[in-house]
Amino acid sequence: MLHSFKRQRYCLLPDFSQFPAKVIALAVSCLALAAGDFTTALVAQEIVGQQNHEGRTPSYNRDVRPILSENCFSCHGLDSEAREANLRLDERSSAIQSGAMVPGKPNESELVARITSEDADAVMPPPETGHQLSASQISTLKSWIASGAAYEKHWSFLAPEKSPLPSHSKVEGVANPIDSFILARVEQADLTPAPLADRATILRRLALDLTGLPPTPELAKSFLDEEKPISYETLVNRLLDSDRYGEHWARMWLDLARYADTKGYEKDRHRNIWRYRDWVIDAFNRDLPFDQFTIEQLGGDLLPNRTDDQILATAFHRNTMTNDEGGTDNEEFRIAAVKDRVDTTLQVWMGLTMGCAKCHSHKYDPITIQDYYSFFAYFNQTRDADNEAPFHPTPTATQAAKLKELTSQLDQATRLANQRPDGFSEEFEQWKNTLKQRPLWQPLNLKDFKSENGVVLNQDKEHRLIASGDRPEKDTWQITFDLPVVSKDDRYTSFRIDHFPKSVAGGDWEDKNVAIRELTLELETPDGESKKLTLKNPRASFSQHRWNVAFALDGKTDAGWALSPHFGKRQTAVFDFEAPISGGTLKVTLEQKYGEGLLLARSRFSISRNPVSWLRAEVEPDQEDTFVKAVFPETIKRLKAKQTAQDQLQNFKKQIPSTPVMFDLDSKQHRTTRIHNRGNFLDQGAEVKASVLTGFAEFPSSAPSNRLGVAHWLMQPDNPLTARVAVNRIWARLFGTGLVETEEDFGTQGMPPSHPALLDWLAVDFREQGWSFKQLLRTIVMSRTYRQSSVVTEESLRLDPRNRLLSRGPRFRLSAEMVRDQALAVSGLLVHKIGGPSVMPPQPPGIWKSTYSGEKWKNAAGDDRYRRGLYTYLKRTSPYPSMTTFDAGSGEVCQIRRIRTNTPLQALITLNDVVYLEAAGRLAQRMEAAGSDLNSRIAAGFRMVLVRDADESEVARLNRLYHSLEEELSEGTELLESAQITNVDPRLVAIANVLLNLDETLMKP
Amino acid sequence: MNLSLPLQQLRAITRRHFFGQTGLGLGSLALNALLAKDGHANNESYRLPSKVKSVIYLHMAGSPSQLDLFENKPALAKLHDTECPQEYLEGKRFAFIKGTPKMLGPQFSYSQHGESGQWVSELLPNLCRQIDDLCIIRSISTEQFNHSPAQLLMQTGNPLLGNPAMGSWVTYGLGSENENLPGFVVLSSGGKTPSAGKSLWGSGFLPTVYQGVQCRTDGGDPILYLSDPKGISRSARRKTLDALNDLNRYQHQHIGDPETMTRIAQYELAYRMQTSVPEVMDISRESQSTMELYGAKPGFISKAESAADPRTLYKGDDPTFANNCLLARRLVENGVRFVQLYDWGWDHHGSSPGESIDETLPIKCRQIDQAIAALLADLKQRGMLDETLVVWGGEFGRTPMMQNNVNKKLVKGFIGRDHHPHAFTMWMAGGGIKPGMHGQTDDIGYYPVEDPVSVRDLQATILHQIGLDPYQFSFPYQGLNQRLIGPTQKGRVIKDILS
Repeated sequence: MLHSFKRQRYCLLPDFSQFPAKVIALAVSCLALAAGDFTTALVAQEIVGQQNHEGRTPSYNRDVRPILSENCFSCHGLDSEAREANLRLDERSSAIQSGAMVPGKPNESELVARITSEDADAVMPPPETGHQLSASQISTLKSWIASGAAYEKHWSFLAPEKSPLPSHSKVEGVANPIDSFILARVEQADLTPAPLADRATILRRLALDLTGLPPTPELAKSFLDEEKPISYETLVNRLLDSDRYGEHWARMWLDLARYADTKGYEKDRHRNIWRYRDWVIDAFNRDLPFDQFTIEQLGGDLLPNRTDDQILATAFHRNTMTNDEGGTDNEEFRIAAVKDRVDTTLQVWMGLTMGCAKCHSHKYDPITIQDYYSFFAYFNQTRDADNEAPFHPTPTATQAAKLKELTSQLDQATRLANQRPDGFSEEFEQWKNTLKQRPLWQPLNLKDFKSENGVVLNQDKEHRLIASGDRPEKDTWQITFDLPVVSKDDRYTSFRIDHFPKSVAGGDWEDKNVAIRELTLELETPDGESKKLTLKNPRASFSQHRWNVAFALDGKTDAGWALSPHFGKRQTAVFDFEAPISGGTLKVTLEQKYGEGLLLARSRFSISRNPVSWLRAEVEPDQEDTFVKAVFPETIKRLKAKQTAQDQLQNFKKQIPSTPVMFDLDSKQHRTTRIHNRGNFLDQGAEVKASVLTGFAEFPSSAPSNRLGVAHWLMQPDNPLTARVAVNRIWARLFGTGLVETEEDFGTQGMPPSHPALLDWLAVDFREQGWSFKQLLRTIVMSRTYRQSSVVTEESLRLDPRNRLLSRGPRFRLSAEMVRDQALAVSGLLVHKIGGPSVMPPQPPGIWKSTYSGEKWKNAAGDDRYRRGLYTYLKRTSPYPSMTTFDAGSGEVCQIRRIRTNTPLQALITLNDVVYLEAAGRLAQRMEAAGSDLNSRIAAGFRMVLVRDADESEVARLNRLYHSLEEELSEGTELLESAQITNVDPRLVAIANVLLNLDETLMKP
Repeated sequence: MNLSLPLQQLRAITRRHFFGQTGLGLGSLALNALLAKDGHANNESYRLPSKVKSVIYLHMAGSPSQLDLFENKPALAKLHDTECPQEYLEGKRFAFIKGTPKMLGPQFSYSQHGESGQWVSELLPNLCRQIDDLCIIRSISTEQFNHSPAQLLMQTGNPLLGNPAMGSWVTYGLGSENENLPGFVVLSSGGKTPSAGKSLWGSGFLPTVYQGVQCRTDGGDPILYLSDPKGISRSARRKTLDALNDLNRYQHQHIGDPETMTRIAQYELAYRMQTSVPEVMDISRESQSTMELYGAKPGFISKAESAADPRTLYKGDDPTFANNCLLARRLVENGVRFVQLYDWGWDHHGSSPGESIDETLPIKCRQIDQAIAALLADLKQRGMLDETLVVWGGEFGRTPMMQNNVNKKLVKGFIGRDHHPHAFTMWMAGGGIKPGMHGQTDDIGYYPVEDPVSVRDLQATILHQIGLDPYQFSFPYQGLNQRLIGPTQKGRVIKDILS
């Protein structure tokens, strides 16, 4: 009997008519648990508290569908591809039409004939499938057909409703409807509800549940104060208001979002997506309602007037992996990512498993392959294609504020710079007058010219030198000008060369590039002294790539000033004299030996006596512009301020992280979606139009037909799954197991809820309360059910071994992140800093050895060693070892729940990992400071770690340990080194290590 | 209502995945499934009479060329350097081949070995001496042609990340024979982890307790965090653990949660592992002759293990793989259920001399040939081969064509083949496997023509040999009874190769 039971994993009510229900339930659950089969165990537990169903009509949902689903539907179900003998049993009409079932007449039903047949060729299910119906299953099917073979819609596909509260006897402390639902079942099972937990216990439990951290000493003091403690409700509100709340609950969502800091697969390189993680933290902290939370993540980019933050939210679905492995087909992995988005969306919001529907119609749930690809079509229009783009700049809140500030500074500076200050016109007119006396540039008169190759230069009326004669390949020119002698305070400051095209200055030579490889100036003063002039600050209206004007002064003839491709326009070069000159004969030598006749065909040479700051390399100097930019102090100041503001903004923008986000293709580029036969994207079948799954909720008529519309559809009040799945998830995090244990599967293959009416009440209430997570949590933690003591009594262990009936408070191991965070918090090491790029706390060397990736793990120094676990860098193919050992995931796929384990590898981490040693060292230091003798120090340690006071015997045991370690740790210098600490009693470090490893420490109390 | 089950017994079994037993003193306390003697398939419907106790799986990450090791194809040799017929290219996707490549004949000479007269290339001279222990399957095909997905399919039954490794399945089903060692151990060599990374020994949807434990041979702790911190002597550790256990027991008296007793047991187990793991990992305890047999060098830390590109360091004398083979034998001898070796560096596209058929393949073969032959001989000599299943292979095969996006001509150091999922060679040896050959490919080794074998078949066969019914053995997840061999009934035990 037990043997046959084992086979029916999803069977709800096996035949236990021969034994009293509870005995069977227990016996079965014991066997199942021992064998690791918790499905059966739960099922057995469900029986407790229910009436023996002997003589009762089997219900389709409860009794019949599990049998058909497990044994028949894979060949006689929804999937037409796999359907045998054209028979389907998942639809009443088909089953009857085919003669498989004759309602009321089991003996005339072919189904009954087949399942009871002794002929190996005829019996169903066929022996080779490994399935076989037990006698009790056969009898269930028979009596169901006899009763009329009524079908029912699956429970979770019907909209939830608040049902009347069940009655139960009076229990002290009942706070809300949750308690009624729970107590009624507890009572039915002949269990006594546990008393309320004591204050220290509930304080630690609540703080860990709401913030992922133990209570701060201040909060503990307020709540445990003997005179005037704060109320439990105040405690709840303070914890919900803490920023730590968002960090803790974000971690739950990041598991679902398959968040990681790398891209996955072979190369598994870095991905910059931490801003999304911070968005989630912030969303929880500001209690963004679940509907808005959903809309922004699934379709934030499609919202009208979308904000940067709403676009950032869409990175939810950019956490899919991309494959950088050489030789992969990008389309293959783009499609894998899109399928992941579809699966994740339906699993996270609706608890539906899509694993099978990509290849063939779902065998159990009403989802055909057409439905799958029609839904897929909404997600098939994003721009990303197995790469990281598109990106969007996603400033943090601080950055956004700074950005706003810098932008407004720039706006203001620009406004000022564009204005003409008082007195400008007068000053400008005056300046122009002075220029009449002393023009910006004064053209030079040709005195003499020498060419090595017989070129002739003629000066025109505008002082332009026009070359003529045969144009040689190469030449060196020496041009001499007379420079009138000027007074000492009026000396020449700058020198200028202009180039003209033929269209402007005429002449015989065609326009060609110019290549002045070297320019040298020599001055012969009136007293006959000749000296070479040094030029500085070379500047030009244009310089050819790699032929910068500065090269004309470098003393080398390899490169110089050239103009290609803009030699067809006027160009100019300006140089300042190292020391101003007073006049004489100026000898200009131009080395132009590049070849191909690249010579200065039309030129003008000019000189200036004005300040060099006024003299810019402009072809036609704009007087007003020069005055504004170089002469008038007030405008110069304003322009400088504008430039500074611009630079600051530009530099700041470079620091703003870019995040991969979702953007749809333009409608013209939309992809056509076809069914992938057998899930193979290379084998595409019929075209499908985007549509949501039928039979769940109506697509809202006002919603757009895109991802945004999908989000609205998910949040429709008549969507039967979304709210149930969400509240169940929150429930599971608080109580260890969901009301539906298979959090990931609310379909027909999932497990039925332990408290259906409670689940529905919570779901409806969640929606009615405006989808507020904080309100939902408040409701749950205010309940008496949550506040119960978790002490396991003999009775509760016997009748409710897994606490599925909640006859006592929840007690289970902390999550990976909480184990770490708690150790850091109680030792005072934890650094409270929200958000930012992921960090690399210490990890043993040699862990990262990814194929073809040069990226390295670098142990953080300073604050980043002590950040909360959710900030630890997560490389998908090589996750942080201590996290995965404590059951954290690797972010490869959506992880709906973590299965908790208890292993020796975990013990090795909390005993030996440097993270925990450092924590022990610091904790020892705090203990030492908190007491004057050993016992008071030990007692303080208990309070720091466990919030509660220690028993005398506990203190005594650690006191004994202390003294027993005299030999090993009287000096203990090595241990202190390991714990990276000085000036503390090493034996206290050992005691702190014990405190951090207590079962009670690792468990939620 | 009277209950016949005493409370103590109930407590012992309330943990979902682990056995517990209380009150009998530490020595006899609970062991978890990581180490338990019994796994969870201790149930007639899943258990089969097992042929072997342990599996040693030698995975050559990157995928060696079957055409240069086991597939003697004179017809391909004749086609060498001619254009590939279109029929082999149409409708096919390759990782790197573009257009029409040229055929590439076997690059090494073949001869027949052993009583079975198996053809093996000159690159594996030592293995040839054990050839009559092997069952060589030349007709395997896979569905994936990129490393990471193909490795995942081979090892976890699914090309996407997030599913339990074969070793996880096996330890979930059977536990380990040694309560002081992990049941599923992973050893890697070649300087890199395989393309799919640690996901290849992840436990997927099974509890993480079943994930492979990577034992490191590169100088650090053999198992992460195994060593006590400096300054904590064994006696100090013992004393702190005694105090911890007393406090935990005291708490258990008050709270009554059986989980507490499991935790005490786990801490004790950790304590024992701190001694037992370094002992078993210490290959220097082997005799000189055994070490010579394998070519092992205890304490050797290969530079390749920390190099950015280990391929530049391949010389052929790196003993890391040999050390791992010897270690595998020690682990199996000590009751470890599944030992998974990964050797990286077998992806010989011909893009450079460090990843070519002509230059790198001989080096990689030198690194494994003697060690694998020694492993088989050693197991046999100790009477362990009958109860150990040894599996060798890559994640797919290599093309009969040369990879033409690298170069179009045959240039020394640049001869390579692309990924070939349609047919490749693997071998099995040991308990319950009939030596010989199975399956054949066509003249150029493109497709199987006789006894085709799928990855599913291979997985079904391995499970079958270790005593798990591949069809019945499952875990409920995502609404399906998940199995290593996938949801369809296509996988079948290769009955022909069983003795």
